[in-house]
Amino acid sequence: MPDMVSIAQPIQQSFNPYTENGGTILAIAGADFSVIAGDTRQSEGYNIQTRYAPKVFRLTDKAVLAVNGFAADGNMFVKKVRQRLEWYRHAHAKDMPIRAIARLIQTMLYARRFFPYYVYNILGGIEEDGTGAVYSFDPVGSYEREACRAAGAAQSLVQPFLDNQIYFKNQTPAPGTSFPAHLPLQTVLSLVIDSFTSATERHIEVGDGLEIYVVVAKGSTSAQGLQNLRGVQELTATDDGERVFVVRRELKKD
Amino acid sequence: MSIMELNGGSVIAMVGKDCVAIAADMRLGNQALGISSKFERIFPVTDRIYLGLPGLATDVATLRERFRFRVNMYTIKEEREIQPETFAHLVSSTLYEHRFGPYFIEPVMAGISKTPSGAVKPFIAATDLIGCLNFAKDFVVAGTASTKLYGVAEGLWEPDLEPEDLFETISQTLLNATDRDAFSGWGCIVHIITKDKVVTRTLKGRMD
Amino acid sequence: METSFALTGKGYVIVAADTTSARSIVKMKVDEDKIKTLSPHLLMAYSGEPGDTVQFAEYVERNIRLYQIRNIYPLRPSAAASWIRRSLAESLRSRKPYSVNLLLGGYDTATFDPHLYWIDYLGTISEVPFAAHGYGAYFALSLLDRYHDPSASLEEGLATLKRCIDEVSKRLVVSPGKYKVKIVDKDGVREVEL
Repeated sequence: MPDMVSIAQPIQQSFNPYTENGGTILAIAGADFSVIAGDTRQSEGYNIQTRYAPKVFRLTDKAVLAVNGFAADGNMFVKKVRQRLEWYRHAHAKDMPIRAIARLIQTMLYARRFFPYYVYNILGGIEEDGTGAVYSFDPVGSYEREACRAAGAAQSLVQPFLDNQIYFKNQTPAPGTSFPAHLPLQTVLSLVIDSFTSATERHIEVGDGLEIYVVVAKGSTSAQGLQNLRGVQELTATDDGERVFVVRRELKKD
Repeated sequence: MSIMELNGGSVIAMVGKDCVAIAADMRLGNQALGISSKFERIFPVTDRIYLGLPGLATDVATLRERFRFRVNMYTIKEEREIQPETFAHLVSSTLYEHRFGPYFIEPVMAGISKTPSGAVKPFIAATDLIGCLNFAKDFVVAGTASTKLYGVAEGLWEPDLEPEDLFETISQTLLNATDRDAFSGWGCIVHIITKDKVVTRTLKGRMD
Repeated sequence: METSFALTGKGYVIVAADTTSARSIVKMKVDEDKIKTLSPHLLMAYSGEPGDTVQFAEYVERNIRLYQIRNIYPLRPSAAASWIRRSLAESLRSRKPYSVNLLLGGYDTATFDPHLYWIDYLGTISEVPFAAHGYGAYFALSLLDRYHDPSASLEEGLATLKRCIDEVSKRLVVSPGKYKVKIVDKDGVREVEL
């Protein structure tokens, strides 16, 4: 029997507090609406943990937050943002405006600069002036207001497609015409569904289900076409005027 | 430092109605430094077969020479032009010969084959760097922008595109994908192969 | 650090290489000629691993010369470039590869036009209007993007080269002191002082 002392070696213990849970999120701003979408598959490596884990959350009637990356951090982060929004409501008797939520998210993320929430955030909704807004963040709080953004596992598949179809990159308008700065809701919804079916086709971490949140500004006509859409549900909670809808669709499960 | 990403570059091929298209960017780089914006990585094999060679630039040149030699030998011995399907297997076996010390290239090929009845059949294929063949029915991609190419192509491509529409589709796919890839871009070249002619166009795009 | 530049112009190629030969932090020599004349209308600037450079350059030089003796005519620039590239590519997958980077400038006496090839130790080849190797490339290439003109006269070409050399001297910490500058055109090869 070998001498126990001679084979004994120091063992390096380590614990990795992070993991990556796949999935993809996407948001597009319209003139008076905003669309925020995410798939519902949650995976770890080649293992699917669940086919329905929402990544997109209604914060207020004018703000929806999508979180992608490490799911545990994401859920905790949404919980903390919602808590701060509730405190704001109690203090000011109104919902926090979206640009203020964006700045709040920055400070909350940067507060954890040296032990970050391992999540990419995309915040979509309606600005106080009634325009559609999308804010995108990195894990430590760098943020920017944009017209469209994809994040997560299939970001590299979806973002160049959006550059082409939303920003009309590499396209030239017909003589005497120009490209629209904002697309109508129907077009945006079609592009979102196309993006996710494409990503599902080519990326193993994307699929199962799709949740598309639509935030519509006060008095906007965009809400009309939405009511008789397949799989739509209204989530509006207040009578401020802004309305929130969610459209649920199936994605391939293989 | 990945060998496959040392020089950068991407290639894509697509099937249309009685036509195929193959396109690539023209950047040659050394990691982040751009060396040339006129680097060719697509080569004609016969009048109807084109071969794209994204990957390590030294192997682009070596494999081009090697395939020219082997196709010439085939033509002399068989006294006929090589068919796209046969050529794909030639590519595959040439790469697999170097299974444990490979050429760092992921070839993409496009061609048109004539069936015995006289009809034309579009053909595209790609392999990995050790020659595993992928005969796709729609499109194939390779290179540093491959993930981006997959995403855009999956969104834009549709079956039975006419040559001019196929040109627009492959061009938009390549342009928008390479614009999101730091190692690809710096000019693009597109070949549209139909049964009786090949149209080659260079594209004007971003040069950053 | 070793640096070499080359640029084409109207009927000529200018090739420049620094003249320092360094070992670690010590300059061993300051008048080393690192541009070989391979044939009457062909220049090759070489840099890289000390030992490999001269060995490989002389191997190329002798083989190009041998071809000329056997065939009366020398190899044209594109043919010479292909042969040299192939030598490096074969060496790359050998037991001890040559670690040599090259700039090959030549004047094609059959078509009356200048050619310049950028070649690295892997066997990567590219015909370019201007080229550089070493840390100097990071400064020179952007200047050449701005100032290079393929139809420029020799004086203008040399002025552009001077810009590159001056910029490298000004901004590169480990800049070389002196350069040897050679020109190849219809009259053959000659050396010039800047």
